[in-house]
Amino acid sequence: MRTIASTDSVEDFISQIAQTPYGQVTLEPDVNPSISLERVFYRKFIERIVKIVDIVPSDIGDLLQTYYYMRFETLNLDRIIRGKFSDATPAEIQANLVPMMPYRAPSYQALSEAADIDALLELLKGTAYNPIAEKLSVYKQYDAIWPLQLELQHIYSLTILRRVEKLPRSQRRMVSKIVELEADIENFLIAVKQSRAPKEGEGFKPEEMFDATYGISKDILHMVVEGADLRDSVESLGEPFSSILAPMYEGDVALIRTNLRSQIHRTVNEARAGNDFGFNTIMAYLVFSELEKDDLVGIAWAKEQGLQGEEFIKYLVVPNVS
Amino acid sequence: MSSTSGVRPTKGYLMEMQRSIVFIERGTEFLKLKRDHLAKELSESIEVLRGRRRLLLESLGEAYKAVQAAYLSLGPTEVESQANSIRSTLDIDLLPKSVMGVQYPYIKILNKPKIEGELDITLSYASDKVYSILEEIIRLAEFESRVERIADELGRTNRKVNALENTVIPDMKAVIKYIQDKLDEEQMEDLVRIKLIGGALASEK
Repeated sequence: MRTIASTDSVEDFISQIAQTPYGQVTLEPDVNPSISLERVFYRKFIERIVKIVDIVPSDIGDLLQTYYYMRFETLNLDRIIRGKFSDATPAEIQANLVPMMPYRAPSYQALSEAADIDALLELLKGTAYNPIAEKLSVYKQYDAIWPLQLELQHIYSLTILRRVEKLPRSQRRMVSKIVELEADIENFLIAVKQSRAPKEGEGFKPEEMFDATYGISKDILHMVVEGADLRDSVESLGEPFSSILAPMYEGDVALIRTNLRSQIHRTVNEARAGNDFGFNTIMAYLVFSELEKDDLVGIAWAKEQGLQGEEFIKYLVVPNVS
Repeated sequence: MSSTSGVRPTKGYLMEMQRSIVFIERGTEFLKLKRDHLAKELSESIEVLRGRRRLLLESLGEAYKAVQAAYLSLGPTEVESQANSIRSTLDIDLLPKSVMGVQYPYIKILNKPKIEGELDITLSYASDKVYSILEEIIRLAEFESRVERIADELGRTNRKVNALENTVIPDMKAVIKYIQDKLDEEQMEDLVRIKLIGGALASEK
């Protein structure tokens, strides 16, 4: 990955990728190269998931499908909601979606062609994303989409945690740890962001924001929203949160997500260490593949910008953990 | 063509020329003052501009690093999706302002974009950095425009002063001298004529 990060241009990057199992990649015409490559890497990763799902036992396959397809679908729904909020055209919205078929949601085309957010939420009623419709009043109250985005994350986290209840304990633990850690960090980042935004007068209620919390309690999140000292709040959380969130002190919040991904890598690596053939190994393979995908997307963009490897390598995971 | 061709060597014209040259010389002095003030203003402004550009470049570097980090963290599609969701825009109005008679544009910010709460935190941090220097970028653009126009005006003023000092005033002085010489000549001829006539009259008696 370091070699790939050190390439001189997008063309060099593509020729290096061609020598890996990713093979030859083709850029879409009239599309920004880094966005085109992002779509390629997403497609390649989804192909990998499909191959794994085809050969594993069905219960594991179902969980993997839910874990990943719903994850990407949550991202797509987030982008559709954002697009509707900002009056983007259906074509503009669909151009930003992860290239996949709908999983638990109705057609992405129908959703992106909905008249407004109200109509969009109406279409999600009766699906796995039904609870999001209950946040319509909060969305209207703040005229902002973060309540809907938060709810999407919660729906995903709760769905996965319910699914893993059916797994044996040793397998359940790894997935739960990842899901809960991601949810906790995202909750904290949203709390920090909301602490910096002007409060919406007397109507602002922090207790409406966080329906599901795990390692980071609602009390701490509410304190952060209300403007409590960040360093004190982070240090009170203990590990692994304090290490993951430490870059916040220097204002390098992007590194927080890198730290989160690195922690996920460590968690998964430890979980699979005891068994080279079971569910944990399969899950580890896909988690590592996803981390690799994210790194490649970042490198592709960096190459398009003409950045040298040392300028951005700290934001990658794979070169820094292997 | 000689500056004296077509000149009427009359006393009236001489007086008119003498009044004009006083006026023009006084005007030239005022223009020189303006030129000196503009030159001083320009050299001070260039120093200030250099300093402000250096500071802005540093701030822009930091802002760009934050934008880079957001792209690396979220991926380009997510960043573009979020950036396109900002509904409010930067609205400005261009108004004229003047310094020493030199007009330059003043940019009035009517509305700044509202970005809180709509972006992921990494992008929010990046946009805060860009936002904090947005006004500085606008003021620097204004200042650069002002400096450019002062430089243009200085050039124009300098050319006028040079033209007046090296061409117009010397030509006028040449005309004045010509007229004076002509008038002196006529006066001398008149005097000689009078003396001759006087001598002739005296010898007749």
